[in-house]
Parts: sequence; C-alpha cells; structure tokens
Amino acid sequence: MASSYSKSESKKLATWYFTVAATLFGAQLLFGLVAAIQYVMPGFLFEILDFSVARMVHINALVVWMVFAMFGSVYWLLPDETGIETVGIGLGKLLFWVFTAAVTVVVLVYLFIQVGPADETSIWFIHEGREYIEAPRWADLGITVVALGFVANLFMTGIKGNRSGIVTVLMADMIAFAGLYLTGMFYTDNISIDQFWWWWVIHLWVEATWEVFVGALAAYGLITMIGAHRKVVEMWLWIEVAMLFGSGILGMGHHYFWIGTPEYWWEIGALFSALEPLPLVAMFIHVLYDWGKMQGEEAAKGQDLSVITNKPAFTWFIMNALGNFLGAGVWGFFHTMPQVNLYTHGTQFTSAHGHLAFFGAYATILIGMMYLAVQGKNNIKILNNTKSSIWAVSMIVGGVVGMTVALTLAGYSDVIISRAQMGATWAGYFDAQATTWLVQGLVWRLLMGVVTFVGFLFLVKDLLSIGKATHHVR
Amino acid sequence: MNAMFEPFVDVVPSFFATLSQGPMTLTIFLHTVIILPMFWIYKQEKARLEKEGN
Amino acid sequence: MATKSVWSDNRFWQRTAAWVTGFASVLLIWLTFDTSAQISMGTDADLQNGVTKRVPGPTVINYKVTYEMNKKRQHEIPVIGGMNAEGTSAFQEKENFFGRDNWSEEEAGALLHLGKLASQTKNCMNCHTLLGNGAYYAPDLTKAWLDPAWGPEGSMQAMTGKETKEEAMAEFLQNPSQYPTHARMMPNLGITAEEAKGLVAFLKHLSSIDTNGFPRNFGKIQGAVNGK
Repeated sequence: MASSYSKSESKKLATWYFTVAATLFGAQLLFGLVAAIQYVMPGFLFEILDFSVARMVHINALVVWMVFAMFGSVYWLLPDETGIETVGIGLGKLLFWVFTAAVTVVVLVYLFIQVGPADETSIWFIHEGREYIEAPRWADLGITVVALGFVANLFMTGIKGNRSGIVTVLMADMIAFAGLYLTGMFYTDNISIDQFWWWWVIHLWVEATWEVFVGALAAYGLITMIGAHRKVVEMWLWIEVAMLFGSGILGMGHHYFWIGTPEYWWEIGALFSALEPLPLVAMFIHVLYDWGKMQGEEAAKGQDLSVITNKPAFTWFIMNALGNFLGAGVWGFFHTMPQVNLYTHGTQFTSAHGHLAFFGAYATILIGMMYLAVQGKNNIKILNNTKSSIWAVSMIVGGVVGMTVALTLAGYSDVIISRAQMGATWAGYFDAQATTWLVQGLVWRLLMGVVTFVGFLFLVKDLLSIGKATHHVR
Repeated sequence: MNAMFEPFVDVVPSFFATLSQGPMTLTIFLHTVIILPMFWIYKQEKARLEKEGN
Repeated sequence: MATKSVWSDNRFWQRTAAWVTGFASVLLIWLTFDTSAQISMGTDADLQNGVTKRVPGPTVINYKVTYEMNKKRQHEIPVIGGMNAEGTSAFQEKENFFGRDNWSEEEAGALLHLGKLASQTKNCMNCHTLLGNGAYYAPDLTKAWLDPAWGPEGSMQAMTGKETKEEAMAEFLQNPSQYPTHARMMPNLGITAEEAKGLVAFLKHLSSIDTNGFPRNFGKIQGAVNGK
C-alpha cells in the first residue's frame, strides 16, 4: 500500500502534530484545574497566576491543540484519499517547527509577563486580550503564514492526486478556515465592531468550518474503520455540508443579539441557529446507521466478527457523534433563542455548553484520529482495546459530562438570580455566586475536572503503549 | 389588519429592518429564497439522470 | 424499474451544498455592510445635533447616561443627556467627568482609545464579561457605569474615600485588592492613574451603547434575594 506509514512522510509529520496536540491538551486540562480551584479557593495563586492568566492558557491551549490535531489529521488522511504522497512535505515539516516554536514562546510570555501597559506594543508582543484569539499580533501573522502553507500543501496534493469528495470538502473548508482568521487581527476603539468581527473567527470556526471538518473526518473514519461504502458516505457528507453551512453561517446572528448590532439579528440568528442541531442529529444517525449496516452485511454472509478494525478509535468516533449532538446541538439549542439568551448570555450556563460542545464535537474525534495514527504507525490490522483505552474513554467522557451537569446546575441560580431577578449588577452577580447551587456546582466541577485529568493520564499511557500490546491482529 | 404592518422599531431604518417589520416576514422571505432554487437543481439533476438512462 | 431517485444522488447534494453555502455567505456579507454602517461610532456633532447612534461618539462622557424602559421598543435603552417626550435621548443634560463636561472630541477620543487598549492588555475579558462575552469569574461590565454600587447610594464611593463615581472607579482599578468586595478579589494589574481614567471613560462609553435591552432590569431591584 502506497500510503503505509513506513513509506509516507506525510503520515510521519501527522504523528508529530498529534504529539504536540496531546501535550497541549494536557496543558489545557492543567490550567483548567487551576482556574477551577480558584473558583472554590479564591486565594489560590492570587497575584501569582491569576484566574485571567490560567483561563487564557486554558482556552488558548484548547484552540491550539485542536488546530494541531486538525493539521495532523489532514496530513494523515491525505495519502490514503489522494493515493499519492503529500506535495510540499518539506515545507510542511518546516512550518510544523515554526508553529511549535511560536506557540511555546506565546505561552511562556502569557505565563511570565502576563500583562503589559495599555499600548500597541503589548498588543504586538504580549497578548491581544480577546477571548480565544489572545495570541499577540506577531504570532497572528506567523499563524497566518503557517496556515497558508498548510492549505497550499492540501491544494497541491488534491490537484495532483485523486480528488475524492472528502478531499474536495476539505479543500473548500480549510481555505475558509485559514481566511477567517484574518478577520480577527485588527484593533478598533469601537467594541461593537470589535466583537462583530471577533465572532467571524470564533463562530465561523466552531459552528461552521470546524463542524464541516469533523464531517469529513467522520466520513474518512467510517470508510477506513468499518469499510463503509464511499458513495453512501460522501452523499451524507454533502448533505451535512449543506445543512451545516446553511444553518451555521447565518446562525452567527445568535451572537449579534446584544453587542450593539441591529434588532433584525434576533430573527435571523434565532431561526438559522435553531436549525444548527439538525446536521448534528444527521451525523449521529449516519455513524450508527452505517455501523449497523456494515455489521448486517457481515451477518448475512454468516460472519459474526466485528467489522471494526480499530476499537478505541471507533469508540471515540461514536463519542463524537453523541457528544457533538448533545454538547453543540442540545446544549446550544437550550439558549440560542433571544428570549432565553437575554438571561443566559454570559453565565455559568454558557460555560456548561462550551465544555461539552468543544469536547463532544472536536476533542473526541481528534483523539480517535490519534488512535488511527497509532494503528498505522505500528502496522496493525485490527487494533483492540486495552484496559487503559477503556479507563481513558470512561473517565474523560464521564468527567466532562459531570462538569457539564455541574455547570448547568450552577447556571440555574446564575441565570435566575444574577440575571432575571437582579438585572446583572455587581451585587446581583455576587448574590448568585453565594447560592448553594452555584457553590456546590463549582466544587463538583472541580472534582469532575480531576476525573477528566486522570482519564487523560490513562489516555497518554495508552497512546504510548497500546501499539506494543500483543492481542491485536497484525 | 393594521397590526400586521407595524412600523419598524429599530434605531436606524434599513432594508432588513423594513423586511422584518412583522414577526414572520423576514423569516419566510429568507427561507423561501433559499429553498426555491433547490427545486430547479432537483429538476436539472432528474433530467440528467433520465438522460443517462439509469 | 424506475430511474434512480435524485434524492440519493451525490451530485444533487453537492450542488445543493454549494448553493446554500454560497447564498448564506453572500447574505452574510450584505448584512455585514448594513450592520457595519449602523454600528459605526458617532461623532460629537451627532451628539450636539441630537442624532441617536447605536454606538455614540467618545464625547458621550460629557453627558449624563441612564438606562430606561422604552415604550416603543419594549425594552431598556441607553438615554443620553436626559429623556425627551418620546422617551429617547434628549442630549441636553451634561455631567462632569473628572471635573469637566467639556472634553473635546480629540481628548475624549484619546481617553477612549487608551481605555479600550487597557481593556485588552489588562485582559479584562478573561474574568469579566463585556457585552456579555468573556469569562464568568467576575461581574458583567456592560452597564457597570450605571451600577448602583458605584452611585451616591452605593458603598464604593465611601469605601474608596472618593466623592464621584469616576474617581471611585479609577481608585479601585489602581488598587483593587485594597478594596475587596468579596472573597474573590480583583488582582493588581499595574493599572496607572491615566490608564484607570481611560478605563472609566471606556466603561461610561460602553454603557451608552444600545444593546437591544441587555441586560434586562439592570439595577432596578436592590437588596437581598429570597433564599439567600
């Protein structure tokens, strides 16, 4: 096979990306724990590593590890889909080192310089103070160069090799993904304009281009792991693209209810974003349906062996189908209507949605891709679960679901007291923070965060050792 | 019937504010213009499939 | 046998995806032009001529700002310089801001510029929310300028030993951990006197932005809540 690991530099590069991604995932969880402890013990690391710094690292590590794992996933699947080695792999490797070095410098500056004076120099060299895309401007420019190089490799490979439906979708999707980053780089004194364009990056990434990316990964996974028929899978993929972009692009209006933007966004945002769960339901059904169908075809042949060639990866893909639907779909729908969002906007409830959505929609499937890489790297025909695989998926999924439930319950009193009753004043905020539901909710969140972190340790152990286990089919 | 045509309440008059003067108008308009061309795509593809004879 | 259904044809769905994506993108770009024009920042002349802007000019700091229920829109709106007969901004009533109510467009603009830069470089958004966006570790700042806690009846002026809202806010911002309001304190971020002034101007300007009634009932109910 032309695309086997030993012969593909693209696949080697993919494993580098996955390694850095997993490391940053660990950093995300660690700094999330620091922030979670500070909710419970406000004096913890006060004026040493304040909540604002811990949270900035928490959410930036989140975004960056996912981007690393997404790049890795593309480098992994390209040789399989196009039938050729990725074009420009030398450039790809160079950009990997540039990207990794830049991220390291950015994080060190976050941790050791933290804040600067109120001038443009701080924006250029420390951070931009804009949630999720805090990276200083020099890094913005660097990330743009890296992303463009990555997109160039994808395009050159797609044009030269066999351009499957999956590759076509990825090409269109990734150029939008890279281009959108440019809309979040400029400075303005007008905070309404600032947040308007800020959402072009955040929303059009996570509720449009990243979701389509996940659709493409799921399609690839179904073909490689259970031998689903390409024609069927790619038809689903096009339906998902239509539904995801059809709802997600104008669904951005649900971020424009209260930031100074006109009232017509109530209607546009509500209606289109209310449709956003539909493709997620479709993806969920599609994954389970194809699995049943392929297993049924085997049964008809008198075979009772599982059709799955990578058990842990497939488990994570199923978790993706479920988590995307629940976290992004259901938890998002809860508060996407303006009449609800007026009160839930910017509360612990939002946080509950954020945790389950990012995890369910993206972390799960990217971890699945890491298992596919482990299988390919060790040249294993059927990769079976180990005890660690099962502990990892149980504890991570259980921990994140536990955090989500705890934050949702904390969100009840946050929404009811600080917003509905007290109108979001300083006093109203702290009244809500003192309620039993919120206090207990945040302790439970911390406990569930620890569970998640222990699960992560199992995951790392498993990714490093599962290839050496002897119960696989080689 | 007068209530069906409210003057817009937005701060600055605009095309979209006018279009969304009643609670349903903007919604119906947008969904209609998105769905209608799909019929045309459907018909074209149906003709193509029939021509290919399968 | 009947011909294959169009509904199970890949090309049909590919073209549908392209159409829907293209239409949504074009409409979003069109709406962006419309919205950008509506949320561009106003000028001093707008305020002088009584032109209501969703985002007023920086010299709004010379005026009294309140947040009142509007009958026509059925939610609260920022009211600048007192209310007129229609229940909207009259742009008449001035208010001292750090001892003056005649900040020029350049001066007020420079102050707002400094304040907005400080709001980013001091990382406000990773504890607080601004316009409801950010972190949930500290109160929302959208209408912080209008918060009763900072007014003549509130506790913050007495606590900081200042006689006006803006001076109390500036003092707090420079030495936040000296004036704790809760076990969860704001850390010292090295905010200078000038930066603090800019931040207060930024907050006053923020409170004058028309947010379609978010947050609802701001500061209308005070005192303890049931079950606390």
